[in-house]
Amino acid sequence: MGPARPPLTRARILNMGKTDILHAPSPTPATQVPEGTDLIEWYYERGCSDGLPVVPPTPAKIAAAVAALGGESGLLVARVPPRWGSLTHEVLAINMVMAGCQPEYAPVVEAAMLALCEAPFNLNGVQATTHMASPLLVVNGPVRRAIGMNAGCNVFGSGNRANATIGRALRLILLNVGGGWPGVLDKSTLGHPGKYTYCIAENEEVSPFAPYHVEHGYRPEDSTVFLLAAEPPHSVTNHFANDAEGVLDSVCSAMSTICNNNAVSAGHCAVVLGPEHAATIAKSGWKRHDIRHYLWAHSGNRWDDLYGRGRYGKVYNRNLPVWYKREPDARTPIVPSPDNIHLFVAGGEAGRFSAFIPGWGHMSSPVLRGVGGARPAGAPECADGTCAV
Amino acid sequence: MKTMPVYDPRGVVEAAPLVISPRVKQLDGLRVGLLDNTKWNANKLLRGLRDRLAAMHAFGTTNYYRKESFAAAAAPALLDRIAAENDIVVTAIGD
Amino acid sequence: MHDAVMLESRGRPTAVIITSEFALEAEAQRDALGMAGLNAVVIAHPLSSLTDAEIGQRIEQALPQIERVWLVGRTA
Repeated sequence: MGPARPPLTRARILNMGKTDILHAPSPTPATQVPEGTDLIEWYYERGCSDGLPVVPPTPAKIAAAVAALGGESGLLVARVPPRWGSLTHEVLAINMVMAGCQPEYAPVVEAAMLALCEAPFNLNGVQATTHMASPLLVVNGPVRRAIGMNAGCNVFGSGNRANATIGRALRLILLNVGGGWPGVLDKSTLGHPGKYTYCIAENEEVSPFAPYHVEHGYRPEDSTVFLLAAEPPHSVTNHFANDAEGVLDSVCSAMSTICNNNAVSAGHCAVVLGPEHAATIAKSGWKRHDIRHYLWAHSGNRWDDLYGRGRYGKVYNRNLPVWYKREPDARTPIVPSPDNIHLFVAGGEAGRFSAFIPGWGHMSSPVLRGVGGARPAGAPECADGTCAV
Repeated sequence: MKTMPVYDPRGVVEAAPLVISPRVKQLDGLRVGLLDNTKWNANKLLRGLRDRLAAMHAFGTTNYYRKESFAAAAAPALLDRIAAENDIVVTAIGD
Repeated sequence: MHDAVMLESRGRPTAVIITSEFALEAEAQRDALGMAGLNAVVIAHPLSSLTDAEIGQRIEQALPQIERVWLVGRTA
């Protein structure tokens, strides 16, 4: 009945901590092992790793990370689905250390976890889906430089400790605390490399446009995290156009495929403009609003092309808005609104490349959240659940 | 023997144990709810099941419900309504 | 599984149908939600790509399990 499942670590499934019913009150080692134990192998054998070696936590490293979180090791940050494990400051610190984070990354990691656990993100669904979507984290504001993030050359790639380990800390938490182990609760058919780490910073210094978080009501001096359940970036090459329309027509082309998940599931997507492309677009006098509206207006699919041109009968698809026309020649938008296109400038200053990053669909909405309690201008001042009016 | 500490990155799970509801003793006369999570073919499966079950049992009524989104939990208001309007429920599809 | 746990908590015996590919996930989810006694109705994977005739086969596969869940709480 059904295909044979690959062998699973039964210990991993049973080790879901469901017999632990009390908070761990303070930094308490799970156990002690003989001095000289190969700790990297020990953590591998316990099933705590994303496949890469983890940094064995020490009392000093955990304490430093907890201190950077503001102390209170037992403070509950969130419960992480689908296992609903309790992410306390201490557990967050342990995963940060394992990922290789410096303590000063803590405010970003914490803000990102809070964002992921907000209801609109639907982390439960993102963790479990057969689609390959994985949270993409984009950081804005002064914290990027304060902690040494890379917003330039090779921004989606390797080589920067902050980018690499912040993204990795999120994934380790989703695995360990959230239980999102492949084949157990994470049913992603293919996965993608972003499931190791998927964290960038916007290149505000080089961008000719306002930063993303300022477009969304934050002050430039605030720092924010943006989380989108995302496919990998799809490269957009364009070396021939010298105006906004020419560059953006290539992005529209990348968007207008029948097989990206937005095409059949609506929702949100991201577009990352490389600095050369951004400069060309800015030279035409275009702003963020113009870019997002152009992309929305001039991308799309023919309805009939989405489902094999009638070969399998008529399809309605309740996942798409009712106002999309279900007629063969009707233009079907990639996402329902220009506001569902999240625009960033990032990458190195050489190279005429941008990227289209599809999302998962209407089932998850991206979340933008302030780091260290920052709120959009005009929002009430809130702390610890109470807001000054 | 000298030792080194090792740590648990998982965090505890606090789940108050829940019990399933009492079973029904027979199916005739009951109100049956069908909850469709809108995934592909869930509707065909549920409608077929409804027809076959209704042919085998003298149900009171059968009521059909659709979730807003297949990837999120059903809204509490919808669950309250289903519980109020039915005695037994069948849902599909987790795939 | 979340919906089924919520409905059972509201006093309604619920037959939740899953495909075989998700059996393990369903167990893990109902355990994480705290309702270890919830048993799912399992049909062969897949469902999404089937013909009407094949869906008919899945219906036959599910029927006896559904009745047992409602009356007994187990599928076997």
